[in-house]
Amino acid sequence: MFKQAILAAALCSTLLAGPCMAHAKLQSSSPAKDAQLTEPPKTLTLTFSEAAQIGVLKLTASGKDIPIAVDKNAKASASFTFPLPTLAPGSYTVQWTAVAADDGHVTKGSFAFSIKG
Amino acid sequence: MELSGWDAAAVGAKAVTYATTLGAAGAIYFLAYCGELLQEPQRSRIRRLIGILSLTSALATGAKILLMSATISGDLAGMFDMSFAGMILGAGEGLASGVRMAGLALCALAVTSKHRFHALALVGAALASMSFAGVGHVHGLRPSIVPSVLLCLHLLCAAFWLGALVPLLITARDSRPAQIAAVAARFGKLALGVVAVLLCVGLSLLWMLIRDATPFWSSDYGRLMAAKLFMVAALLGIAGVNKLYLTPRLLQGQSKAFVQFRRTVQAEMVAGALILLITATFTTVTGPPR
Repeated sequence: MFKQAILAAALCSTLLAGPCMAHAKLQSSSPAKDAQLTEPPKTLTLTFSEAAQIGVLKLTASGKDIPIAVDKNAKASASFTFPLPTLAPGSYTVQWTAVAADDGHVTKGSFAFSIKG
Repeated sequence: MELSGWDAAAVGAKAVTYATTLGAAGAIYFLAYCGELLQEPQRSRIRRLIGILSLTSALATGAKILLMSATISGDLAGMFDMSFAGMILGAGEGLASGVRMAGLALCALAVTSKHRFHALALVGAALASMSFAGVGHVHGLRPSIVPSVLLCLHLLCAAFWLGALVPLLITARDSRPAQIAAVAARFGKLALGVVAVLLCVGLSLLWMLIRDATPFWSSDYGRLMAAKLFMVAALLGIAGVNKLYLTPRLLQGQSKAFVQFRRTVQAEMVAGALILLITATFTTVTGPPR
């Protein structure tokens, strides 16, 4: 009985050999972290180490939220590009939360950039 | 490593899921190899334990998914955002939770059966134990099949060992001295091989995960792994006392040994709980350095 159980366990374990899995880390962004821009960017691009889904994306300036449209039902991807409204000169902070597509692990981060007047 | 309140709650729910799932599975294995040595009142108590742990595991699995949803947004509203739950379930967590629920449902058969063990309950126990392998850092390794099989073995062995502790305590409190001694001896004999496999497999997986030793051990993941290894060593020490010092004295009927045995089993439970809490932490909020 135990031998059969172990064999069944070994077979079942192959079903659980899922795809690649790790925490999705932000590899690069545009604007880049701490970038000092001379012109306002038209888009915000985030590139991750793994395919992920964006759960939360916030762009703030002086504590005020600037709306960015995020499709929570978008397919997982390693790179996302979001159109931005026209941004005034100043300092901006991007806060993001991503969910790795292969294991559901949540990663968060933030970075800042500025636009010179 | 920064932990928000929601991160900590998700880690707590995951730790409870680990403990209750491995506890239910381990209790079923215990009934399979020790049930004949017990009286019906003890078997009945262990079956009731399996039912309670199975139900708690199912609830903790659901709570974990809700809390992981809350960690995405960082607030309570995230817990009820179906798109967040969909992201988590659509990743490996959905398969893992499904397999666990199926396994726990089969485990529940052991609650209703009056036989020593039920074959389907054993399969359910194995499925529930191995469900955690559906999501894990080992899947980042290539090829993933070997580390996945090793992780499944690791989980089966962990369930055997940690899941036996509460049934051992029930036995130690309720049974006659001769029964306690016989159960301790039988468990100790089987545990020798199981723990050897557990350690070999665990160390093999660790070796596969470490790509570069210095960054690994200086990372949050590495430090938590070191804490886990420390607790495993402590658990091994206590188990060694049980096997080599107390069990022979139990078999000789020394009354002091029975009191000490209860205490060492309780100490093993505390160490086991800490191991599961540490594991829940490094599998939730951090990962191996790349």
